[in-house]
Amino acid sequence: MTELIDRADAAAETPALELSMQQAINRALRVLLAEDPDVLVFGEDVGALGGVFRVTDGLQKEFGDRRVFDTPLAESAIMGMAVGLAMNGWRPVPELQFDGFAYPAIDQIVNQVARMNYRTRGSAPMPITLRLPSFGGIQAPEHHGESLEAIFAHTPGLKVVAPSDPAEAYSLLLQSVRSDDPVVYMEPKARYWDRRPVRLAEPTDPIGTSRIVRPGRHATLIAWGAMVHKCLQVAELAAEDGVELEVLDLRWLKPIDAAGLAASVARTKRAVVVHEAPLTAGLGAEVAALITEHCFRDLAAPVQRVTGFDVPYPAGPLEPQYLPTIDRVLFAVQRTLEY
Amino acid sequence: MAEENVTFTLPDLGEGLVEATVLEWQVSVGDVIERNAPLVEVETTKSAVVIPSPKAGRIVALHAEEDRVVPVGDPLVTFAVTIGDDAPQAGIVGKVPTEEARPARRVRLKPPTD
Repeated sequence: MTELIDRADAAAETPALELSMQQAINRALRVLLAEDPDVLVFGEDVGALGGVFRVTDGLQKEFGDRRVFDTPLAESAIMGMAVGLAMNGWRPVPELQFDGFAYPAIDQIVNQVARMNYRTRGSAPMPITLRLPSFGGIQAPEHHGESLEAIFAHTPGLKVVAPSDPAEAYSLLLQSVRSDDPVVYMEPKARYWDRRPVRLAEPTDPIGTSRIVRPGRHATLIAWGAMVHKCLQVAELAAEDGVELEVLDLRWLKPIDAAGLAASVARTKRAVVVHEAPLTAGLGAEVAALITEHCFRDLAAPVQRVTGFDVPYPAGPLEPQYLPTIDRVLFAVQRTLEY
Repeated sequence: MAEENVTFTLPDLGEGLVEATVLEWQVSVGDVIERNAPLVEVETTKSAVVIPSPKAGRIVALHAEEDRVVPVGDPLVTFAVTIGDDAPQAGIVGKVPTEEARPARRVRLKPPTD
């Protein structure tokens, strides 16, 4: 650990690095593989190829094919193997190549990964971090864009996190893998190529905390993953109209930061939650319920939800019609302002 | 920018097929092709499929005439591709999202009076 802390200190002192989210996640994996010999990275194409999104690029070369390795194209087996490895003292970091391919592994994730610690009364914890390229925005074919956060957040025993920028991706992955609980780490594919100056830093905020990425006083926009960037764009445009929007990056989708939500909305009195998943029984409903429970008397308008539609995630060219747009978010903000 | 020749071999088109017959080339030598654009139609024992181009580049050579049987792993086509390009590449599927300098909007807001 000493060496790591030294490295983090050095990062804080040196000028920020230009990194994409892919590269930031890659660096976090390198730190994790270097600091803990029990960490294993595996999945489809993560070894020789370096991942279809280049996230695991170079890791097999650096750490060898016993620590970073390719698996058969069998998602249930990937997660089942993670369970067995975890029971034998390893710290697995499996990747399921695309969110839609998590469905064949749901049995292992829900029935084994999430429950093993509970079932064994704590004698078999599952320190597994499932890396899951998630959400839409790259106009991919069917099964290559899904928003599964509500399914995972609804499953007792799992923690769920979705980073929104490269620096967050780095520190949240360190935190997820070092946690002894299973974490579903949802990587927003649409932000993989987001390059910006990044100061790589050790995680400082506890698991389950949100963060304010832009302060404002008229309404709070709540989002995670790629929708945080969308909400920042909306806030920039709203400012031209004299409306100051606060943007809250929820980031941890289980546990949810109810206190953080309440603190923001108690100030702004209005809330709009934005997600890519369909509306019905989406995580926005949970967020709206928490805000209503904690801030009922403060609210100037009902909590608005801007989401995908109650249809299967559309493939390729229809995606822009499905994902929340800037105008749909602005409309929802206006509804809260006029209520 | 510099160019490099890259040869694409016939991939296993699924379930352990060992060969395919070239039905029709959708490109000619000298054509500049986009990634994922139709490259060649081939027929296996299961079906006829159009293989999309794995690369963007200029076609340098087609290694099999139409109606020829090509074993999996044999050269199919050679591209001249530009190298040293730092533009982000998408993965095997999908597109890198493009960022508008100033996002378009239609809805205007009225600030609250409170």
